[in-house]
This record gives sequence, C-alpha cells and structure tokens, in this order.
Amino acid sequence: MPADLADRPLSAASRMGQLERADTLAARNRRFSEGQKIQVRIRRHDDLGTRYQQFEVPYQKRMRVLDALNWIADHEAGDLAYRWICGSRMCGTCAVRMNGREVLSCWEAVEPAMTIEPLRNLPVIRDLVVDRSPFEQKVAALEPWIERAVPYAGFPEKLTHRQMKDASKALDCIGCMCCYSACPVIGLGGLTDFAGPAPLVQLGQTALDPRNSKEKLARSLALTSIFSCISCYKCEEACPAAIPIVSRVIEPLKARAAELLPQMAIHSRAFRTIIAQRGRIDPGALVLRVQGVRALANFSRIFRMLIRGKVNPLKTLLGIRTAASRPAQHLLGKGNNGS
Amino acid sequence: MQKLAADVAIIGGGAAGCYAALCLHKQGLKPLIICKGLVGKSGASLFAGNLVISGRLLGNTEAQARNTAEFLIKYHNQFLIDQNWARRCGEWIERVYYPELEELGLYFRRDDAGNVVTSPGAIRSVAANVQGNSGVPFMDLRRKQIMRAGIPRLEETVATALLRNSKGNVSGVVCLDYINGTYVVVQARAVVLATGYSDRLHKRSTGTREMSADGIAMAWRAGADLVNMEMQWWHTNDIADPPCWQRMQVYPNPMLGSEKSARMLNSAGEEFFNQQNDDPLAFGPYTVQLKALAKQVRSGKARYDGGYYAGFDHCDAAEVEAYTTYGKAFRQLGLSFPDELVETSVTSHYRQGGIDVDNATMRASIPGLYVAGGVGGHSNGLIGLATYDGKVVADGIAGDFDRLEEESVSENEWTAEIRRLDRLRNSSGTGTSPATLKNMIRDLMWDKVGVEKDAAGLEAALSQIQQIRLELLPEMKISSGNRVANYEWLDAIDVVNMVDACEVIVHSSLQRKESRGPFFRRDFPSTDNRHWLAANVLKKAGNEIRFEKRPYELPYFSPSFETRDNLEVPW
Repeated sequence: MPADLADRPLSAASRMGQLERADTLAARNRRFSEGQKIQVRIRRHDDLGTRYQQFEVPYQKRMRVLDALNWIADHEAGDLAYRWICGSRMCGTCAVRMNGREVLSCWEAVEPAMTIEPLRNLPVIRDLVVDRSPFEQKVAALEPWIERAVPYAGFPEKLTHRQMKDASKALDCIGCMCCYSACPVIGLGGLTDFAGPAPLVQLGQTALDPRNSKEKLARSLALTSIFSCISCYKCEEACPAAIPIVSRVIEPLKARAAELLPQMAIHSRAFRTIIAQRGRIDPGALVLRVQGVRALANFSRIFRMLIRGKVNPLKTLLGIRTAASRPAQHLLGKGNNGS
Repeated sequence: MQKLAADVAIIGGGAAGCYAALCLHKQGLKPLIICKGLVGKSGASLFAGNLVISGRLLGNTEAQARNTAEFLIKYHNQFLIDQNWARRCGEWIERVYYPELEELGLYFRRDDAGNVVTSPGAIRSVAANVQGNSGVPFMDLRRKQIMRAGIPRLEETVATALLRNSKGNVSGVVCLDYINGTYVVVQARAVVLATGYSDRLHKRSTGTREMSADGIAMAWRAGADLVNMEMQWWHTNDIADPPCWQRMQVYPNPMLGSEKSARMLNSAGEEFFNQQNDDPLAFGPYTVQLKALAKQVRSGKARYDGGYYAGFDHCDAAEVEAYTTYGKAFRQLGLSFPDELVETSVTSHYRQGGIDVDNATMRASIPGLYVAGGVGGHSNGLIGLATYDGKVVADGIAGDFDRLEEESVSENEWTAEIRRLDRLRNSSGTGTSPATLKNMIRDLMWDKVGVEKDAAGLEAALSQIQQIRLELLPEMKISSGNRVANYEWLDAIDVVNMVDACEVIVHSSLQRKESRGPFFRRDFPSTDNRHWLAANVLKKAGNEIRFEKRPYELPYFSPSFETRDNLEVPW
C-alpha cells in the first residue's frame, strides 16, 4: 500500500477499494505456481465485428496482465492488438479493463480467470487499442502549462514543498486514463461538458502550482465543468499511481474555481448556503437559487416534484430551519465559500 | 499515401528529439517529429531517475564539480568521449538547462523549508518531483511544450527508410502510421535521427517495446559511419520477474535526502555491493556493479540472469520513500518493504556507441543526416547530455540550412520502400512469425553477445544472424494482412532492422580486442589503453565493413596505466 494511503484513517473515503486491493497484493502474487494454466478471455474487435476469444496461458513467476498478453501474442494470436511501451508503470499506455475494473496491465498481477477488455469512454480502434485523441485534445484545450504572473527570478527560485504538495501528487500522473474509463460522469457521454478526472489531473500539475498566474488558471478552469464531478472516488480507486485524485486534485481545483469563477460554483454555493441556513437541503430553494425564476417555467416538473413531496413551497418561502441549522451554521460559517 | 513537407524531419520523441524540435522552432524553422511511440511517453528519456548536478550549481564545491566531470568521462564513458565536448555540455547544463527547465515549471523537489533536496556525497543529484520517476514529469513537460508551440508530430508512426536525392543528400523519410495503416512520405532539407540510447536487442533489455535499433539500421543502410557499437552498458540489478518488468531497476544511485542506497547480496546472502562502501564516487556505478557481479558469477554465487538479490533491508522505509518511488515495486509484488529483497538480473541497457558524428554540429558522415542524443556514438546515457544535443543539432542545421538542397526525392525511391513494406505485411511464407524471430535474435544476442563475450561465441552469433537473414526472413509468416493497428506487421519491419543492427554490433565486438568498462572479452581480459583508447569506427564499403581507429584526445582526464586486467580497473 502506498505510504501516504496507509497514513489515512481506515474510514477515509479515499481508501475504499484501494485498501481492499492493497490488502490482497501479497495473496495475488502467491496464488499460482509456475506453469499453472490461467484462463484469459479477450475482447477482440475489428471492422468485421466484436467477439471474445479464449486462451490458456502458462503462469510465469510474478506474472502481470501484460505478460499474459505478450505470451498470447507470441504464441497464439500474433495479430492481437494491444498497446504498451515501457512495461514498468511509466508510460501509461497499457491500461485495460480486467474483470470489469481498470488496471495498468504491466502493473497488475494476473487472476486465475481474466476477461480483458479495452478502456471505456474512448473509441476502440482494434482489439484493446483505444483512440487516445479525445483525451489528448481535452488536455491540450486546457493549456496545461505555466504562465507566470511574476517573472522568473533564476535557479533555484523560492518555492517550498508545502506549496507544491497537491501539484506534486498530480505530477505522479502517467496519463494512463484508467480514471477516465472508470468515471461515471464521463460515462454519461455528451450529457455534460465535464473534462474528466485525467484531464483535470493533467491540469492540476500546473494549476495547483503557486507559480501559475490566476488569470491563466481561471481561463483553464472555465473549460472544465469541474462541478459536474460527483466526488464518487471511482477515479481514485482506479489510479495505478495512487494519486488522491478527488481529495488532492479535484477538490482543491474546485476551491480555486469557486474563488476565481464564482458563477461556476453556483450550485455548490447555493447547496452550502441552504444547509448553513436551514440545517438541511431544500430542493426547491436550490433550484430557485441556481436557475432563478426561469425554473418556475417548467410547470410539469414542478407538479411532479410537488406530488412526490420533493418540494414544500411553504417551507421554502418561510425559510424554516431544522434543529440541525445551528451546528450547520457553526460548521459552514455563513455558507458563501462555495467549495 | 500522404506526402508532407518540413524543413527538418526529426525521428524520435524523447529528450533529444523534443529539444531539437523546440530549438529549431525557435529559430524560425519548421520541424516535424516522427515518433514510433508517443512523444514524451516512449523511449529511454522517460526513465531518467534523477538529474545530476553539474558545475557549481546548488552549492556544489569545486571538488564536486570536478567529480561530476570525472565521473562522466571515466565511469560513464571509459574515456571513449571527446572531453572538450563534455566540458561544453557541462557548462551549458549549468548555465542554461537548469534555469530554463525551472522557468518552464519543472518542479525540482524541495523540502518543506524550500531547499532543493539533493543526494549527498561526492557527486550530487536532484529529482524532478520524485527520484526514480523524474523522467515522467520531465518528458511530460516537453510533450506539452511541443503541443504549445504547435509543432506537428506524427505519433505511433515508424520511420522505415531514409531517402536520398540525386546528389546523395538525405532529404526525406518513409513512414508508416501503424495505427491507421497508412504510409507517410516526409520531404525535408535535413533529417535528425534521435532514436535513443537503448534497443530491445537482448533477451533482457531496458529498451521500450518500440526500440528495435531502427535509427542504427536506417543510418547504416543509408551509408552513415558508426562508432563503438560494441560498447554496451548493462543494468546489474533489474528485477528478475515478472518478464515485463525486465527494465525495472533497484536503483543503485545515492538517494535524495539519505546517506544510504540499495545493496546487493549474492546467493549465499553475502553483501557484494553497497554504493556507500564500494564506490562513493561512481555516482551511477553501473560498471563498478557489473564488475562486482562478474566476480560473484565466477565464484558460483550468482548468475547473470538471476540468483542474486537487491533491496533496502538496511534502510528505514520512511527514509527511502521520502523522495523516491523505490518502495512501490516491492509492494506491488507483495513483498514486505524494506525487509525483503528482490531477485535481480542483468539487463542490456544503453549503447555507448552509435552513429558517428561531428559533435560541433551533430552532422553524420552523409550530407543531410544529423543525429541527436543516444543514437549518436559520442556519449553515453544522461538526459542532460541528450538534451544538449538537441540544442547543438538545431544550431548545426540552422548554420547549414542555406547549403542544404531542397531538391526533392525521386518517386522511385519511396515507391520501392512502400513495396517492401507491403511485401512485409503480406508475408505469407511457410516459416516463422516475426515475434518468434525477434525472440530468436534476442536469445542469441543474450547467449553469445551478452556480458561476457569471446571470438568463438561472436563468430557463432554471426553465422546465426546470417542464417536468420538468408533463410528465415524470406520465409517469414504473419497471421493477418490487416492494416489497422497491426503490431505483427510492425514486428516484421522491426526484425529486419534488428538483424542489420545486431550484425554490425557483433562485427564491432570482434574488432575491439580488449576489455573496457562494461565490455568484457574472455579472450582479451585486459584494458589496453595503448592500442584501444580509440574510437572503433565502422564504415560501409559495399557489402563489407571497413574499420578505422581514431584515438581520443585526453585534455583533462587520462587513465593512469597502459594495460591492466579489466576486472581490477575501478571504472
């Protein structure tokens, strides 16, 4: 388990899944003996269609998923298309889904029976090779580089690790897109403009760097729809570089967006304000605050919400508080810090 | 088929190729990068563990500055280097490289108080974010610089042949975009080969998947001179299993923020290498380690392919992991860190030799062809040196540019190459698959052209290579003629390059009749400075190789003996 993960409490959301995976690392590496047969089922795809093909692979010591793919390409299916470059967790090009979860194939130990499929949320070119260009284009559009507000003062410049703490985490990103494949919001397709976890981590490398100018940061953040992130932590669970993507990248970026571009955070800010004032969420007030009076134009929606008891116009109008309002106010202050 | 034009075609997307492109772009020329992998994500540059401090940077003393230079010339290149070039390079690194990288935003690792964290000792180094992983943010920065400058790049595109115009100038490249399966012919006034230090020519190689000596093979076929092709470097403690981790190293270099570094134990559990005790000066003590291992192998306490162990069991985990990635691999294998060691093995690493260049301009011996980085025969393995080449080659080309002819390449040249590639895609022989041939070549290189070589083994390797060339290549069989993402087709293209490159490596190894640094000849065990402190230059003469010897000048450092048993030489 990565050292920094081990320091976090067992209950931390960011340890879900990762903890489970880490706990079984020793077991995963001792499950097989040399030569034992592993069942591998691979999703094949070309212009003729999609099918699954079954292979039997002899276990080699400490075998990774990539070793199994290499064995298959060398011995059984020379035409198997799968991408890899370095074989040692640096290039980030060999990610696939193994039994439904995203893994870096060079990094992950094999399972007795594996179904190997390409990453989700990216077009498949052939077999396990996906088109990386939608991700690359998103990253390029975010202009993930530094524009200095103050001219560079010469080497070494004044900078501490404390200031770089979050950016440093983002710098571990190898662009493997495991998180991009695992993200349920990206999985919604074109329903949102959400940049997705991987492009946000790529942006975070410079956006969380104190040397970058606020103007540059605001320009990039404006393109991210970052508040579409639902903080489900799927990305953190999938990350083979163990980057705390939500807590150390997306949340700090949301905080900066809320500060620099308050309009982006209107929903979060309203949510927070309502809780701070009333001690509970009020969907009616939330919709009104976010959408303004035009929310009232959607009669059928209002009607459905009324019937199902989702909104209570009276409570909304009177701003009735619950017993939780006092501690909520204490915890959240006046509620105008939208992060 | 797509035709593209550029001022300069750069083959390779690592530290040298990227920096060459950026410098040419700054000079107002139009470069185009052709990268077999992904720019900044493939090749050797990605593996830069740390960055060596040169000169008087970061409080380096005069002694430390001198140590760095001595290390580069002696331990890193066994004196087979132009020391004046090394000096120019060191000055540039001190004056330009560090500040420029930091101004761009590279994060030189600090502590919480703001000090740049260094490794202690006679030669110091720093890390980009984390030691062991510095190449990742470093090359990511380059990738983004290329993006930002709008320099066009052809990625997952293999260059297969250099084209020459009627006057013999290299002025174009035939390429295959192997993801889409389309041909690209690039016409350019100059071509830069920047394909890197490593290649996957041995059973265990640190080279990445795509590295199959394409640069060497293309240059040789086009008639360029090569040099010191036998000078092969080895990693001594790369993790033995799993197979795909063959280049994952238990780094022997001094650690940032610690007095300790990895140690190595033989099969009897005896420590036989510990950087701090055994060679504090040899900063990246690859050759020193290899010699220590050779002695263990000879006493039956280790094998070159395993049976010995490396790790950090004498260190505190928190200290190792404060600034390094070193614990991650152990943990991923389910080993307890740092208490458990991991079995390690030798891996073929950088080739010190390569294409012969004029290191003031990076011109190769044929007009229009230039070189940057590891594929050149002028230096060995550090990301700073490779980057410096990017600058020098850009200046060299800018200086030559008006003299370089724009005359285009005749259509016959590239249609012949495309026919060859089509034939490879339709290889329908009755024989061996490209993957099997690749493995066959790597096995024979490992067995006969491995750490310890002799004339008999090398001659046997040559005849096996000839057999592959004459009997197996024509009968090669690939399972699908599909054009899209057909990696087997790519393998078929690679195999031809591997055969060409291995042949010159073996010839070159036979020619150097001494042992030097990591080059061990059983039949010539001594380092022979009287006869062999010289470049071993290979020239193509029809189908033959003509060798020439070119001595090195020794203005700053020179060896203290004429001949000595190589295993007793400290470098």
